[in-house]
Amino acid sequence: MRFKDRSRKWGKDWYNVFTTELKTIFSDSGVMIIFFLAGLAYPLIYGIIYGGGVVEDTPVAIVDNSCSPSSRRFIRKLDATAEIRAAYRCTGMEEAERLMQQRKVNGIVFFPEDYEDAIVSRRQGTVSVYADMSSFLYYKNLLMAANRVMLDEMHDIQTSRYSEAGITGQTASRLVQAIPYDENIRYNPGFAYNVFFLPAALMLVIQQTMFYGMSMLSGTAWENRRRLVNKDKGAAVTLTGRGAAYFLIYIGLGVYVSMLVPAIFGLPQNGRPGDILALLLLYIAACVAFSLTFSSLIRHRETVFVLFLFLSPVCLFLTGFSWPESAFPQFWRLFSYIFPSTFAARGFINMNSAGCTLSMTAVQMKALAIQAVIYSISAWYCTRAARDRAPLPDTGTGPLPPKD
Amino acid sequence: MDTAGKIFSVIRRELRIMRQRPVYLAASLGTFMFCTVFFLTFFRDGIPQDLPIGIVDNDGSALSREFRRQTDATQLGQAQVFGSYAEAREAMQQGKINAFCVIPEEFAEDVQAGRQPRLTFYVNPLYFVGGSLAYKNLLTMVNLASGAVQREVLLAKGMDTESAMGMVQPITIDLHQIGNATADYGVYLTNVLLPGILGLIIILVTVYSVGSELKYGTSRHLLEKAGGSTILALTGKLIPYTALYVILGLACDVVLYRLAGYPLNGHFINMAAGMLLFILACEATAIFIIGTLPVLRVAISVAAIYSVLAFSLAGFTFPAEAMPPYVRGLSALFPLRHYWLFYVQEAIFGSGIRGWWMEALHLAAFLLLPFPVLKRLGKAYRLLDYPRD
Repeated sequence: MRFKDRSRKWGKDWYNVFTTELKTIFSDSGVMIIFFLAGLAYPLIYGIIYGGGVVEDTPVAIVDNSCSPSSRRFIRKLDATAEIRAAYRCTGMEEAERLMQQRKVNGIVFFPEDYEDAIVSRRQGTVSVYADMSSFLYYKNLLMAANRVMLDEMHDIQTSRYSEAGITGQTASRLVQAIPYDENIRYNPGFAYNVFFLPAALMLVIQQTMFYGMSMLSGTAWENRRRLVNKDKGAAVTLTGRGAAYFLIYIGLGVYVSMLVPAIFGLPQNGRPGDILALLLLYIAACVAFSLTFSSLIRHRETVFVLFLFLSPVCLFLTGFSWPESAFPQFWRLFSYIFPSTFAARGFINMNSAGCTLSMTAVQMKALAIQAVIYSISAWYCTRAARDRAPLPDTGTGPLPPKD
Repeated sequence: MDTAGKIFSVIRRELRIMRQRPVYLAASLGTFMFCTVFFLTFFRDGIPQDLPIGIVDNDGSALSREFRRQTDATQLGQAQVFGSYAEAREAMQQGKINAFCVIPEEFAEDVQAGRQPRLTFYVNPLYFVGGSLAYKNLLTMVNLASGAVQREVLLAKGMDTESAMGMVQPITIDLHQIGNATADYGVYLTNVLLPGILGLIIILVTVYSVGSELKYGTSRHLLEKAGGSTILALTGKLIPYTALYVILGLACDVVLYRLAGYPLNGHFINMAAGMLLFILACEATAIFIIGTLPVLRVAISVAAIYSVLAFSLAGFTFPAEAMPPYVRGLSALFPLRHYWLFYVQEAIFGSGIRGWWMEALHLAAFLLLPFPVLKRLGKAYRLLDYPRD
């Protein structure tokens, strides 16, 4: 065959594989649920669930055995913080503990009888704080509010003590604030939960839905003893043709997930759209190759969920959005390199939220490129193996043939 | 054949299926074992050690070096020195460090002279645990440094150590972390994540095993074994799985509260009872899903979407009361939500049944879910009139 004819055949074969794959996808209700219902709705659902992302006015119970101006001032300041509110005044710890158990409060602040005495007599006053550890957001609120009020109160008390000790004016204020500080909490000043959860989850949705959907189709093909790979077509043609179908669908989903959804929910969008698109293209390419490789191992349509759904939460933690990557055990760090989502989520968080440029995310981009190459090779190998395999064996579907 | 005989023959049939198709054991036992190992080892440290924290030291004095050394010495932090603000900022944007602190020029001199030199710190709050702990660490460091300066001045003025301490730190906070005394992140998450994973497995495997009979057209054979009764067929079919899940659930409790030594203020036996209810509630939910949608391919997709949402809507990470009012109520539709509330009462507060009887009732209410769909499922089993794929 002359080169011209051969390339024409390739082109025709490629187009044929590409359109067949698209038709298969769009005529399968289960896959449509995963690609479109899950792919489109999950980001919205997550955006809605996490709302403003901030927990405000966590209720706490106050037990004030000191009943003094000092303790009352402390309580007033606590109540004024955004994080907590003094929801109940209790006469004793027992009552406060009961309220905590009934989940009417998520913390207790206790002032001992000698609180005022200690402060007046220049000793250390102690405030006891009991935090409900059932959610770390309660704990964080209580701790932050109590610490801030404590520092503020300390400065007031120190100023008055210094003046009693004969140190006044500028000398005193300089001592009280010996080393002042400015804090800059960038990108997410309120430590909002949605700002750190959503970007990681959004990226994960792309990989997981693609892998599950593609595996369902691959399982269906096996069950119907239908070949995903035609014998007279080249493995490369089949691979790129099928891959292109998913690539096309996911470019649309990817733009939706990475640009539209953050805009809908008012998440920070500090990256340049072109840079994000570049990351997205590499990520989707890596995901397509990843899914083509692993989906070829799936023999039954529904088994991908029962066998691999648990990977979704696991992959989410492997992005390092919550537990920091620097604290990963070495084995799990290496394990996380298997998944494109690990690098894409980090790249996306850094770009979209922290405003990194393309060159600053070079590490993640390179990793995704390497994954895309490696998984393309493995997918090509799997495709060729599937093509060259003898007629598909009957894998014995069905729970069992009636025997007794 | 009597009822017990029918159930027994369905059980025998199911055990044969489980032997012939390894997917059932792989999907339950295999994945659960993997997740147990994963979560227990992943959060092994409990609190991250050696979080990278950047220091931009524009002073280079003995005092600023001391500040650096102190940051390194804390269990949490690990100081990384940067030559300039720009470098540190870039590293923070790239997520390499969680925070950094800029020490101004002539820091030591200004401290000595009482000129109040200003430290500036920058925090990256995009990585939750790392960011908030690094922030806390820097706050502690700067307050300690400030206190040290004060103490030195006061001692130089001839004050004794105790009075000086009263001056420097007139109030202390005595923190009690109820139910998780060390604020261990692993304890916090694994306690709920592992049962959550078990719930996910149960829902998927149950939908799969009940739905497979439809897909492969073997449901009539199943009904035949059960003497035509849907309820006996389902009972017999689920008994082997229930036994397996109960073993996994109890193993999970043993691993968490006995082997890993996670704090448990209540009783082990109560935790086991709660787990049992949770397992049954998940199975009932699964039957409801496959009974409502007796097409395996659709039901399994729906079950997957539902199971993954449970982790968010259970409200153990982001509290349900902070969610918008119109989704808050949805959390009640997930057994994991009630299991978590139960767990809080028993494991954290040790309240016993007085504290969690409501949650037990809620979980028990899930057990009613199969009944409205039983007839529909039975019809599908008999007629096999739904598309198989």
